[in-house]
Amino acid sequence: MNAAFRWLHQLAPFLIFVMPLTAFGQDPPLRWGGDKAGGAPFIYGNGDVGFEVELANYLGKKIGRKPEFKQCDWDTIPDTLKLGHIDIALNGLEFLPERENEFPSTIPYFIYTLRLIVNVSDESIRSWEDLKKPRKKKLRVGVLRGSFAQRYMEEKFGNDVEVIPTKEVDETFLLVEERERMDATVQDSPAAAYYVQGGRRPKLKVVAPPAHTGFYVILTNPKDVELRKQLNEALKEAMASGELQRIYEKYGLWDSDQERLAYHQIRPWPPVEGEKVEALGDTGISLSDLARKIAWAAWMTIKLACCAMPLAILLGMLVAIGRMYGPWPLRVMLTAYVEVLRGTPILLQMYVWFALIPNLIRAIGGDELASWFTAAPFYVGIFGLAINYSAAEAENYRAGLQAIPKGQMEAALALGMSPMTAIRRIMLPQAIRIVIPPVTNDFIALFKDTSICSMILITELTGLYYQYKWNREIVLELALTIGLIYLFISYPLSLLALRLEKRLARGTHA
Amino acid sequence: MIAVTELRKKRGENTVLDGISLTVRKGEVAAIVGPSGGGKSTLIRCLNALEPFQGGHIDVDGLKLHAEGGEKTPKATLLALRRKVGMVFQQFNLFPHMTALENVMSGPRFSLGVSRAEAEKIARPLLEKVGLAQKADSKPDQLSGGQQQRVAIARALAVSPSVILFDEPTSALDPQMAAEVMAVILDLAKEGQTMVVVTHSTEFTKRAHTVHTLERGKLISSVSI
Repeated sequence: MNAAFRWLHQLAPFLIFVMPLTAFGQDPPLRWGGDKAGGAPFIYGNGDVGFEVELANYLGKKIGRKPEFKQCDWDTIPDTLKLGHIDIALNGLEFLPERENEFPSTIPYFIYTLRLIVNVSDESIRSWEDLKKPRKKKLRVGVLRGSFAQRYMEEKFGNDVEVIPTKEVDETFLLVEERERMDATVQDSPAAAYYVQGGRRPKLKVVAPPAHTGFYVILTNPKDVELRKQLNEALKEAMASGELQRIYEKYGLWDSDQERLAYHQIRPWPPVEGEKVEALGDTGISLSDLARKIAWAAWMTIKLACCAMPLAILLGMLVAIGRMYGPWPLRVMLTAYVEVLRGTPILLQMYVWFALIPNLIRAIGGDELASWFTAAPFYVGIFGLAINYSAAEAENYRAGLQAIPKGQMEAALALGMSPMTAIRRIMLPQAIRIVIPPVTNDFIALFKDTSICSMILITELTGLYYQYKWNREIVLELALTIGLIYLFISYPLSLLALRLEKRLARGTHA
Repeated sequence: MIAVTELRKKRGENTVLDGISLTVRKGEVAAIVGPSGGGKSTLIRCLNALEPFQGGHIDVDGLKLHAEGGEKTPKATLLALRRKVGMVFQQFNLFPHMTALENVMSGPRFSLGVSRAEAEKIARPLLEKVGLAQKADSKPDQLSGGQQQRVAIARALAVSPSVILFDEPTSALDPQMAAEVMAVILDLAKEGQTMVVVTHSTEFTKRAHTVHTLERGKLISSVSI
């Protein structure tokens, strides 16, 4: 037996496994990416309900590939496509001429418009022009982060209203319903039709005629020419056979706009310049255009960190004192406090303060009571950071207090000081010195953790990045700039911590 | 002025103090001697309620301390008692974040609620008395052991206690420094300061009015000189 043959012999079990795979490779599944967090009517349930789910199933059947849903984050679906984790991106993705080169689109499958949605009790906003009326306080208008609606609102109303990008449609609707933290929202027509006009959100209403008409398209990778052709044929057939109408009607989405799909489906695609239904002016943004916004976001990051840390230290100190010297029921409670806060993610805690607790109070005590517990995101952010870090500071101070020789407390008590006075005058001043280095390190960590606040509608540095990362021309520079800003602020803090540590070490050994 | 009756203290299974009864009169200098581990330090730490005890009671000028589980001593009584009973520790226990002067001022300021200026008026002469007026602004870590202990004595004196407890005040010091500190303590004794001193120093026991000998938790002799 020669050597080559022996090798083959050893590989045989492998080949048995691999060959069936390659045999079926003719018909790989159609992996389609979307975000079920985007919700109804697009994709919801377990990723198995929604008009786009039915469309994907239909397309899969037509081109002979089994559809397979892949959960992505909505604003990174194109990136996921580029990395090859999915074959097509199908989830309310707008036709944008500037991304055609990177992600060539299919012909449109839906014509959407932008709808203005407000609280039913709101009579002050009846038209788009009402958004421009001067008011005491700027209106806060929620938009889906990274959506065309965000860009549209920033370009057309950026000077008149505060555009607040949110991560989820549902969250935005909740905020407009409570009317405390958001006045209006601009959403794509499917969400407006399904939730608001479909009566599923009775506290909201759609006002003003639709603004901007655009296309939902399926994004593909440039190399998949054949796939695009197949999908286009299937889409045309769905339109012609009435299948598309059947699917859309099921979700209350069929309207006269959709009838125009047939026209656009036979025109050359992508449409030539003059034929764009409506385009924004110059959508190109450079980093220098954003300079002011970056500065503001950096300032917001600094404000969050500098307000939250003193609070965290104060709280932590009190918790540590309670745990060291308090009666046992208090000690048990404070131990639980520290462990719960240390043992759960800060992101989750932030959502609890921001959404869960106000909603819980609303469910129990109604809107009146809830409004007392619904603070502006900025304050919720400071509160959430302070509470979370108070647990770490409590542990620092507890360690600090424990490091003080026992004789100190005894000497203070023997002089006739009350225990509280002894703690305040003798123990704490010494503990504060001991914990300066770890507290400084925690401040650096908190400074970076302010990025969590981007999840609760605060535009700090990370939030700004999330808002502009759709712009592929500046996303790299932006990420780099923001990273450098974090570094430039935290590095001097690190040096300071190091110096304090050295000085302290000298002090105790002298 | 101090009356200890049938004092019993246990630490786990060990009986540390086993039915101690003794009295200290006003102006008396009492020495407590005996082998290490005999319960000397524990006894005087019971006198100002730094240690709880399980049997008997202590009376200082009418302020009563009761055994654990018995009648509870009110907080106000506890504070009043500690202001009457000063203490000087073997390890000095000066507050390291304060200067010598601030250490001496700490009792008047934080126990008696005296103003800063008033406290300084009390503290400066006391520092002078222990021979450290020129070290007023030094931090404890800039002082020798003997100097630290003298500041600690001034600190104890600053609240004008009726009695001062000394817990082996010179045993952490080399002989020369111990002599400095002992001189200060003997001066106080001459002035009629009531004091209870746990010590190994024979030089001191010669000058005490009463010498109590403690061995394995029992008072085996009380000799008046």
